Amino acid sequence: MIRIRFSVLAICITLLLQASLAVAAPYKSWTQLTPVQQEALQPLSTQWDSLSTKLQKNLLHAAKRYPKLTPEQKQRFQNRLEKWSKLTPEQRMRAREKFSAFSKVPPERREQVKQMVRQQEEASKTAASGVPPVAPVR
Amino acid sequence: MNQKFHSGQIKQLLNRSLARLDQPTLARLRDARAQALARYDAHSAAPAFAWASLWTDHRHAADSHHKSHYLAAAVLLAAILFSGTAYWHHTVDHDVSDVDIAILTDDLPIEMYVD
Repeated sequence: MIRIRFSVLAICITLLLQASLAVAAPYKSWTQLTPVQQEALQPLSTQWDSLSTKLQKNLLHAAKRYPKLTPEQKQRFQNRLEKWSKLTPEQRMRAREKFSAFSKVPPERREQVKQMVRQQEEASKTAASGVPPVAPVR
Repeated sequence: MNQKFHSGQIKQLLNRSLARLDQPTLARLRDARAQALARYDAHSAAPAFAWASLWTDHRHAADSHHKSHYLAAAVLLAAILFSGTAYWHHTVDHDVSDVDIAILTDDLPIEMYVD
C-alpha cells in the first residue's frame, strides 16, 4: 500500500516538474544562445535581450529549422526577422491568421495572387528607379 | 450396570448425594461455581467489546484511508490537468513557430499579411 502511494506521489511530482519546465519560458541572453541559434537570429543580436520572452521562445523554435532552409529561404528569414520582431503581438497573431487562411486557398488561385504581387513589386521598383518599364519583345 | 437413567432420576440422585456432603465441601463447590460463572460472564462480554472496538478502529482507519485516497486522487488529477495544459501550450507554441517560419520564408512579403 505504501509502495503504491509512493508511486502515485512520484508520478505526480514528475508530471508537475515536467509541466513546470514546459510552461516556464526559457529566457536566454544572446550570449547563451548556441552558434546555430546566433547565426539564424543574427539580425536581432543587438535587440535580442530586450525582446519579450514569448517572442524569444517562438524565434528559438523557428531557429531550430533554420539549418534545413534553402539559401534563398535563409536570406528571406534573416531579412524579415527585424521587421517581424517589431510588430505587436496582435499584428503577429493577425498575420498568422491571414497566412493560415491563405494556405487554404487552392494552389492555382494562390499562384495567381503571388504573380500579381510580384508584378506590383516590379512596377513599384521601376517607378522608384525612374526608369520606364521595358516593353516585352514580340 | 447397563440400566439407563432419565435426566430427572439423575437430578434426584445428585440432590440426595448433595444433601449428604459436608459444609466445607459445599462451600468449596459454591466458590468454584461462582468463579466459573464470573469467568463465563467475562468471556461472553469480551467479544462484544472487542468487536465494538474493532469496528470503531476499523471505521476510523477506513475514514483516514479514504481521505488519503481522495487526496492522492486529487493530487493526481491536478497533476494530469496541469501537465495537459502545459502540453497543450507547448503544442500551440510549436504550431505558432511553424507558422512564423513559414511567413518569414514565404514567397510573399510579410507586408501582405500585416495590417
